[in-house]
Amino acid sequence: MTNGPDTSSADRSKSRARRLGIGFLAAVLCLGPLAALAQTQIYDARTKKWVDYDKKKARQYFARTNQVPEAFRRQVVPFRTAEKPGTIIIDGNQHFLYLVQPGGQAVRYGIGVGREGFGWAGIVRVGRTAEWPTWTPPAEMVARDPNAAKWAAGMPGGPDNPLGARALYLYEGDQDTIYRIHGTVEPWTIGLDVSSGCIRMNNDDIVDLHSRVEIGAKVIVLMQGAALYKGV
Amino acid sequence: MKGKPRFLPAMLAAMLAASVALPAAAADLVIAMPNWPSGQATANILKVGIAKKFGLDAEVKELGTLNAFVGFETGTVDIQPEVWRPNFEDVVRKYVTEKGVGKLTERSVPAWQGLCATPEAAKTIKTVADLSDPEKTKILDTDGDGKGEMWIGAQTWLSTGIERARAAGYGYGESLTLFEAEEEVAMAAVDAAVATERPMVFYCYAPHHVFELHQIARLEEPPHDAAKWKILPPSDPLWVSKSSASTAWEAAHFQIAYASAFGKKHPDVAKFLEKVDFSPEEVTKMSYALEVERQAPADYARKWAEDNAARIDGWAKP
Repeated sequence: MTNGPDTSSADRSKSRARRLGIGFLAAVLCLGPLAALAQTQIYDARTKKWVDYDKKKARQYFARTNQVPEAFRRQVVPFRTAEKPGTIIIDGNQHFLYLVQPGGQAVRYGIGVGREGFGWAGIVRVGRTAEWPTWTPPAEMVARDPNAAKWAAGMPGGPDNPLGARALYLYEGDQDTIYRIHGTVEPWTIGLDVSSGCIRMNNDDIVDLHSRVEIGAKVIVLMQGAALYKGV
Repeated sequence: MKGKPRFLPAMLAAMLAASVALPAAAADLVIAMPNWPSGQATANILKVGIAKKFGLDAEVKELGTLNAFVGFETGTVDIQPEVWRPNFEDVVRKYVTEKGVGKLTERSVPAWQGLCATPEAAKTIKTVADLSDPEKTKILDTDGDGKGEMWIGAQTWLSTGIERARAAGYGYGESLTLFEAEEEVAMAAVDAAVATERPMVFYCYAPHHVFELHQIARLEEPPHDAAKWKILPPSDPLWVSKSSASTAWEAAHFQIAYASAFGKKHPDVAKFLEKVDFSPEEVTKMSYALEVERQAPADYARKWAEDNAARIDGWAKP
C-alpha cells in the first residue's frame, strides 16, 4: 500500500468551509461582553515559576503599574523557525503574537484572545489593514445593548472605539475570514481569554505591528490552547 | 510510508498534470528535480559533480517522480535524484522491474517516521508507552481540560489515519486529544513551544529540517512488527477505525534512479551515481539550508561541491 498523504481537494474545501463557518460565528461574538477565564499563566522570573494570571490580577496589576506584566510587553526574543521574516505566528494559549525577524529572532507581543482561543488553527494572510477602523456592532449586540445600538450604523474610529488604533483583516485567499487582529480600549485584558474570537493588542503594539507588517503577510494560527479543535 | 509529506501533494499534482513536453535541450543530460528541498539540492549537486568530473552539461528540470520515470522511457529524462520507497513502489515495479527502462542505485538513504518531543516534553515523556499515562501527558495540555494534545499530521495525509490507528493500537488515543492541522502550523507550534520552553509531542519524520532547527527527541517504541500492523487499504471509507497498529513504522528509504539507456551510454556516470552516499544528517542539512536559510539550490550545490571536492572525486573514481 502506498502511504503518505493524499490530496483530496474535497477534504480541503470542506475544512475551509468549516473554518469560515466558525469564523463567522466568532466574529459575531467578537466584541461581546467580557468574561475572563483564569487559565492564563505567566512566568515569574523572580520565583522561576509559572503563576496563574486572571482578570482580577490583571486589573490590579494594570491599576498599579499602568502596564501589563513583562511577559506581555513588546520585546525581541530568540525564535528559531523555518518561516520567513514578516510572518505572524499567533499562540493563543500563551497569549503571544510573534512577528518573525531575520537572524533567528521575533518581535513578541502580548495578546488578548477569545474564551475559546481563535476558533481554529490554520494559515491565513493579512488581506488589508486600517487605521482607526470603524466598528459596527453585530445585530445581537445592537438589540440588547443601548450603548451599542447608537452605533448600529458604525462607530467612527477613535480612542473609544473597541477596535482600537489599527486593525489587520485576515483573509483566506481573497476572502475575508471576518477575523481581525486589532487594538483595544481595555489594555489590561492583554494576556487574558476574554469575549470570543479576534486577537486584541495594546494600541501601541498594534500600531507597531501595523507599521512593520506587509499586506499579504502570512499569518499562522497555532493549535495550542485549542479546545476548539475537538472534532476537527 | 510518508516519504515527503509536506511536498507530496505538489508532487502528486505534478504527476497528474499532463505530461511535460521538454524543449529540445542543448544539454548533455536532464536531471529531474523534485519540489522538496533535499531533492532540489541533490539534483543540483549531481549537476555540479557530473560537470566537474565528466565534463557533461546537465539541465535540471522541475519534474515529479512519475514524470521522471516516464521520461526514462521516452528518453527525455536521465536522472531522478530521490525516489522515495515504498511510496513509489508501483512506479518502480512498472518502469524498473517490468519495463526495465530505469535503474535504482543500490545505496539508499534511510528515512524514518514516528513521534517526537521538544526538550521540555522529553524530560517526562521518553517512550510511546509514556503517552498512555495521563499523569505524564497532562503536561501537554494547552486548553485547560487536563488532557494533553498531540499533532498527528495534516488532514490530507494518509499517514495521519495511520497515526490515529497507532493511537488506538497503543491505547494513548484515550489519554490524548489528537489534532490534525497543516504541517506549517505544527512546525510553527514546535517553534513557539521551544521558544517558551513548553512541552510538545508531535508526529515527525526524518530527514527533516526540524531536527536541525531544534533539539528534538524521538520517542522510543517497539520495532516494526508486521503481525501487529493491521492497516486496511484507504479504499475502505472506514479504514481508519478498522485499522490498528502497536509498533513502530516500517523503515522507508530513498535512492537515485537513472534511465537504463543513459547508463549504457555513460557507464562511468552510472558508476558515479552508484557511489553517491549521502547520510540522513546530510540530507537534513540540505533541507535546512534550502528551507530555513532560503539558499538557492544551485548556489547551495556549488558551495557544497567546493566544500566536498574530495567526496565528489571519490565518487568518480573507477
